[in-house]
Amino acid sequence: MNALLSKFSATDADSEIRTAMDLAEEDGLTDAMWGSQAGFGQLVQGHAFNIPAVPNPTAFLRLHTDDHADPNCKIKIQHGTTTLAFRFQGGVIVAVDSRATAGSYIASGTVKKVIEINPYLLGTMAGGAADCQYWETYLGIQCRLHELRNRERISVAAASKYLSNLVYSYKGMGLSMGTMICGWDKTGPTIFYVDSDGSRLKGDLFSVGSGSTFAYGVLDQGYRWDLTDEEAQELGRRSIYAAGHRDAFSGNTCNLYHVKEDGWRFIGNYDITKMHYDGPGAVPGSLGSGYGYDVRTDNRFSVLPKPVSA
Amino acid sequence: MFLTRSEYDRGVNTFSPEGRLFQVEYAIEAIKLGSTTVGIRTPEGVVLGVEKRVQSPLLEASSIEKIMEIDTHLGCAMSGLTADARTMVDHARVTSQNHAFTFDERIKVESVTQAVCDLALRFGESVHDEDAMMSRPFGVALLIGGVDELGPQLYHTDPSGTFVRYDAKAIGSGSEAAQSELQDKWHSQMTLREAQVLVLRVLKQVMEEKLDQHNVQLAQVTTDKGFHILDERALKEVIDTM
Amino acid sequence: MPDMSAIANPQQRQFNPYAENGGTILAVAGADFTVIAGDTRQSEGYSIQTRYASKVFRLTDRAVLAVNGFAADGNMFVKKVKQRLEWYRHNHAKDMPLRSIARLIQTMLYAQRFFPYYVYNILGGIEEDGTGAVYSFDPVGSYEREACRAAGAAQSLLQPFLDNQIYFKNQTAARGYSHPAHLPLPDVLSIVIDSFTSATERHIEVGDGLEMYIVMAKGQTLPDAVTNLLPEELPSTGDGERVFVLKRDLKKD
Repeated sequence: MNALLSKFSATDADSEIRTAMDLAEEDGLTDAMWGSQAGFGQLVQGHAFNIPAVPNPTAFLRLHTDDHADPNCKIKIQHGTTTLAFRFQGGVIVAVDSRATAGSYIASGTVKKVIEINPYLLGTMAGGAADCQYWETYLGIQCRLHELRNRERISVAAASKYLSNLVYSYKGMGLSMGTMICGWDKTGPTIFYVDSDGSRLKGDLFSVGSGSTFAYGVLDQGYRWDLTDEEAQELGRRSIYAAGHRDAFSGNTCNLYHVKEDGWRFIGNYDITKMHYDGPGAVPGSLGSGYGYDVRTDNRFSVLPKPVSA
Repeated sequence: MFLTRSEYDRGVNTFSPEGRLFQVEYAIEAIKLGSTTVGIRTPEGVVLGVEKRVQSPLLEASSIEKIMEIDTHLGCAMSGLTADARTMVDHARVTSQNHAFTFDERIKVESVTQAVCDLALRFGESVHDEDAMMSRPFGVALLIGGVDELGPQLYHTDPSGTFVRYDAKAIGSGSEAAQSELQDKWHSQMTLREAQVLVLRVLKQVMEEKLDQHNVQLAQVTTDKGFHILDERALKEVIDTM
Repeated sequence: MPDMSAIANPQQRQFNPYAENGGTILAVAGADFTVIAGDTRQSEGYSIQTRYASKVFRLTDRAVLAVNGFAADGNMFVKKVKQRLEWYRHNHAKDMPLRSIARLIQTMLYAQRFFPYYVYNILGGIEEDGTGAVYSFDPVGSYEREACRAAGAAQSLLQPFLDNQIYFKNQTAARGYSHPAHLPLPDVLSIVIDSFTSATERHIEVGDGLEMYIVMAKGQTLPDAVTNLLPEELPSTGDGERVFVLKRDLKKD
């Protein structure tokens, strides 16, 4: 009865959680997890999350998990990123870095921040790594079901709206994701920016994450609609390099994808340090030299003057 | 005392004194009214074929859907009350996708068949706050064909929730004649093309109308290409080689 | 007279269900084997609770899970993973492949997204294609396949060492030579043992004992150099992958 009352008495995030808690069984093990539904009952009826039995579960979560503000708490969730995507004549370019930080520790330098939702859709990862990985994988199976039920591929607009509605239903509970859903559908190349606050924006050019301002600087400068495929790929790489160079929370390597009419293609993985000194290597669109400005200044550093020869 | 059927065929989950569930048996009878459906397993893959009853020249034959994709590696053909099959196929699709989500692998053919059969038995009166469920047994039988790590497999399910694996199976109105024909002609080293032709030959024997690319449908699940329904041109090509 | 200050002053209480029990875990994947190791010290604050508490557990013939962080959560989590593996065996008549276990662990961790297990997991074993694999997880389920990974108290001591010794980061190969993609088992074992003895020297929460699980791919036998270390073979179900355990003492101060 109490549960019923609280279910209808308030509409704030806390009461939402209470409702969820009433639905989930005490130990999180429901009949639906095995037996005739082969362990998928909880997915059929919606995800059953276990909630701490405290008056304010959201505050509990904030206390124990680091959401950037407090680096001292125990449970570190991976953060820090640069991701970008832009639309141009030849499709969509998606480029991301590969660094994950927990506080000031580099937890990984090989993170896959582009999530391959299906052969036609890509999602990027910024914010909580698990939130993005889990929900974008989940989006993938929902897109497949849409395909089976409607005998046609889901549009990028519909897929992104599905994700947007989904994360909005958890608003205020501590999810953290800023993602770009990229693909090619009947309307052509498309990008939607979706985040955990509930924003969903259609656009030509986005960059998300702590290094996004640095990426935007390069991206805005070099962006044109009629870029060739090679120029566009180079612009993506160069922008991620800039963010990796100036943002301490971004770096390691750049992963580059190109979405065309027949689906996405992985273009390559580029070491950011290598790009600084030697450039991305012998790839189409590359200038063939390093991006770092030291190669352009003939080693005239004010902090490290050239040794005077005797 | 109660020896006549009529006493015990009303409740869907009431056994008769002889231990029979009449409603389930009647549901199985419903399939015998359905169009003929044939499935054949070969080492290369599974072939599924159905007869489409085109009752009127004004009927758009392509809108009759009796073979459905469950997932890239799974397909199913049906006979009986095909409307009932939609619920079951959707359940199979959701189960398959949930398996992919939770285990990052393709579900086995047997597991998805088991899931469908679990649903087949979920009829009767629902308990207080449960979601409304089916009030009667499903009146449809399915042939589920697929490929997994154990190779190509063909399963037959019926309204009682029983499932059995077959090398070749026919269901529906012409099933008796069709099954004995399959028994004569099936051999373990059949090619996919031979299986396609055999499916059509069997259907041709039991069909009242003259078989053409409009009143049959053929699909296959192969190891390398997965599930795929033959379009009319490909179908005509097979018919011409018969 | 009773102390009234407790009533007079407002008091705040917090629900803190977590503890940090120290220790470190580590896993390295080879071409056809994987080594998963952990120390056996369990501590809270500056007190050592026990000198022998396992952090590494065999799940199947080809999968081993190492858990680190809050021991109570870790033990419960391993128990629940084992339960799900058994259900899977009943439902699908086979052992769960390694990549499937990795995905399952993600979904299980994420189910606790709003009340996380305070556990860092490293899963090691053999994939269906016979290669060695390591999967590392954050507490709420983000995961990645890697060749090596250290987690826990001495993570920041060990990971740079592994990057250098396993991935050959910041090492330039001699002219005419190249770095191997995978190291042989005896080399990996000595790197693992050195990692833990070094971590024991410099980290107060690491020490007492070392347990190393070795998962060998189907048809592979232990090299003589490893057999001489007298590893114990765990019983396996058939002629597939094999799991061995090697135990070593670490300093107890």
